[in-house]
Amino acid sequence: MNGESLGISEEALLELRNITFSYKLRKGEKLQVFNDLSLKVRYAEFLGIAGPSGCGKSTLIRIMAGLLKPESGVVLFRGKPLERPTPRIAVMFQNPALFPWYTVLENVMLALIHEKELSREEKIERAKVFLDMVGLIGFESAYPAELSGGMKSRVALARALVSQPDLLLMDEPFSNLDPLTAISLRREIETLWQNQSLPPSSVVIVSHDIEELVELCDRVIVLTQRPVKVAGEVKIDLERPRSRRSEEFYRYVDEIYTLLS
Amino acid sequence: MSFGAVIIDVLAALGFSWARMTIALLISIAFSLCVGIIAAVNELAERIIIPVLDVLQSIPILSFFPIALYAFIAIHPIIGPELAAIFLIFTSQAWNIAFGVYEGVRLIPSDIMEVSRSLGLSGWRRLIGIYIPAAFPRIASNIPPSWANGLYFLVACEMITIGERKWKLFGIGTLSTSYILSGRIMEFVLSLAAVMAAIILMNLLVFIPLMRLSERYKFEERAAEVPRVWFEKPLKAIGRIFARIKLGSLRIPRVPSPGLRLPERLLRILAISIAAISISVVGYWLYSIFSESFSPEAFSALLEAFARLGLVNPLIMLGFSLLRTSLAIIVALLWCIPVAVLIYEHKFLENILIPLFQIIASFPATLMLPLIAKFIVDARLPLELGALLMILLGTQWYILFFLVDGLRSIPSEEDEVCRAFGITGFSKLRHLYLPRMLPYLVMGCLVAMGGGWNTLVVAERIVLEDFIWDVGNPGIGRMLSIAVSEGDIPLLIATTIWMAGFIMVLNRLFWRRLYEKAIELTGVAR
Repeated sequence: MNGESLGISEEALLELRNITFSYKLRKGEKLQVFNDLSLKVRYAEFLGIAGPSGCGKSTLIRIMAGLLKPESGVVLFRGKPLERPTPRIAVMFQNPALFPWYTVLENVMLALIHEKELSREEKIERAKVFLDMVGLIGFESAYPAELSGGMKSRVALARALVSQPDLLLMDEPFSNLDPLTAISLRREIETLWQNQSLPPSSVVIVSHDIEELVELCDRVIVLTQRPVKVAGEVKIDLERPRSRRSEEFYRYVDEIYTLLS
Repeated sequence: MSFGAVIIDVLAALGFSWARMTIALLISIAFSLCVGIIAAVNELAERIIIPVLDVLQSIPILSFFPIALYAFIAIHPIIGPELAAIFLIFTSQAWNIAFGVYEGVRLIPSDIMEVSRSLGLSGWRRLIGIYIPAAFPRIASNIPPSWANGLYFLVACEMITIGERKWKLFGIGTLSTSYILSGRIMEFVLSLAAVMAAIILMNLLVFIPLMRLSERYKFEERAAEVPRVWFEKPLKAIGRIFARIKLGSLRIPRVPSPGLRLPERLLRILAISIAAISISVVGYWLYSIFSESFSPEAFSALLEAFARLGLVNPLIMLGFSLLRTSLAIIVALLWCIPVAVLIYEHKFLENILIPLFQIIASFPATLMLPLIAKFIVDARLPLELGALLMILLGTQWYILFFLVDGLRSIPSEEDEVCRAFGITGFSKLRHLYLPRMLPYLVMGCLVAMGGGWNTLVVAERIVLEDFIWDVGNPGIGRMLSIAVSEGDIPLLIATTIWMAGFIMVLNRLFWRRLYEKAIELTGVAR
């Protein structure tokens, strides 16, 4: 299955309209990160965002999640302004950010804290389903400190998905993992996204690894240096699962590198 | 008395007190450098020095003041009390600095030591070029808490009555106490304001520049700093908390660091003479104590004092005292947890409250004790309430600062996870704040309890000239104070041994385990 057969519509699941954002520096100076930035995340799309390091990719993810408020401009989620974080949008950070004092199961259940209609047993059941999905069944009562880096990322993924979000935002999720673990985790995320009966509908991934983006995404948006603008976008029309060895694959990689430089 | 005369009096008293503090601090630094470096460099010395320091830091300082006083009067009847006061202040300042030096030297990266060895640096060059610079940041960050601690005891040691004999040193503690006892509120407030101003000036002109200066002496922090001594962490944390909060929140214009470089020979003479003076003073003092107390008569008097105390009575007194300090800690926790969370969540509150609390916290609570005592007695309020208030003054700030520090240690991503899942209010407190705060909370309570034991000695009973504050109910601090008033030295020593022993047992059996448990529970052990 590829993006085409899932019927990507032009309608936006999440839209950033004319976003402006800057960080305050010490002496009252401002560091302009975004100036009038607009982009769309479509339904059932796997969107990649590439950009030079330090261009504000992580800030962008936080704005999309509602964790940071833009100075001006709006973030529209399903056509409505996004005022605060919602369980419908899940975030996977660069660092798994698991709570060390909770077990794997409790960490995942934390994302269900607002599901008032679920009983405790139902929550445990649901969390287990998602732990199973990321291949961690049998580790429910382990503590994060006892897990390897790849397993921690899987717990973070299960925690992000258990509330069945429409949108999964990922901030360099594979950068702290060894290459082999990263390969298998990428496969899992791709498979989950392709399965229409499972969340999430759309995925946004921010990365500086261009090959990773070409392997996973339907579309890659390339950002410029500060103040950030969209340098261009590349539609990737390749059969899934994609092989990194094909000539076409490298044509896309080169195209993105050209936009970056 | 005219206003001008009062001001002159207050300033003169402040000068005397500050001079005592400064001399004690310099001796503390010299002592810490000697002991800390030796302990860090020599393994045999480490095994002796560290446990001895552990015992010394758990003895309530005020209880051995009368003993020290007698010992120093033996040296000289007029200078003696002055030396005793300096000695007492020294004992309240030295231990955390000594641990800081020990740790700073111990954590010198091994490559630096290897380079110095391959360059063939002599012991003296290594001391000047490596050990002292390595210890300098730790000394600088430990000076503010040491100064606050010293101020706390300064007030208590300027004025003492042992049996029939009374000593009164001229200083801000005696002056402000006599103001409040004679009901001269204006003058009392003026003296407090002077202390406050002096503390702020000390911070701006000495402590902060020192800490800025020490920035350049810092080695790269090593990833795994494994504490070898369990209480090293709490002690180190106090220094760090003071350093971080002060530097972070007080944005004052950069004070130019003195570009002064003393000639090496002068430095050497200075170092040797400070070391010689401190060693001879401590040596003479120890000699005079031991030569007296090891006589058979003194020993049998001590045994007899133990017999007088019995077995049940000290336990009852300790129980009451423990109850008072625990209650004070609970009250402190009740207000500190919400305030710490508020400070953490609202940046503007942090900018206002932290510097304010810092200044209030470094203000010696002992200066307020006469005021509280007089107020409680005059208003006919329960005496135990007064004791609770006094202990609270000596404990609450540690807890608050530790809690704020604990909240600041929360990785921003954990906070974002909570926000992303809409975890707020009480569930955020339960799932994120409390677990993250827990080890800091235990450390804060441990340090606060230490402060509490010291405050007990004055909070349960204190003699202020003709005015006697006494809670009435049993208490170990009250017993100590009674022994001092009666001039009963054997009884005083016996009570001190009971108290110090109890504190050590409590630390080992309760606090240490609780701390380890908290670390284990929260899984944040590195």
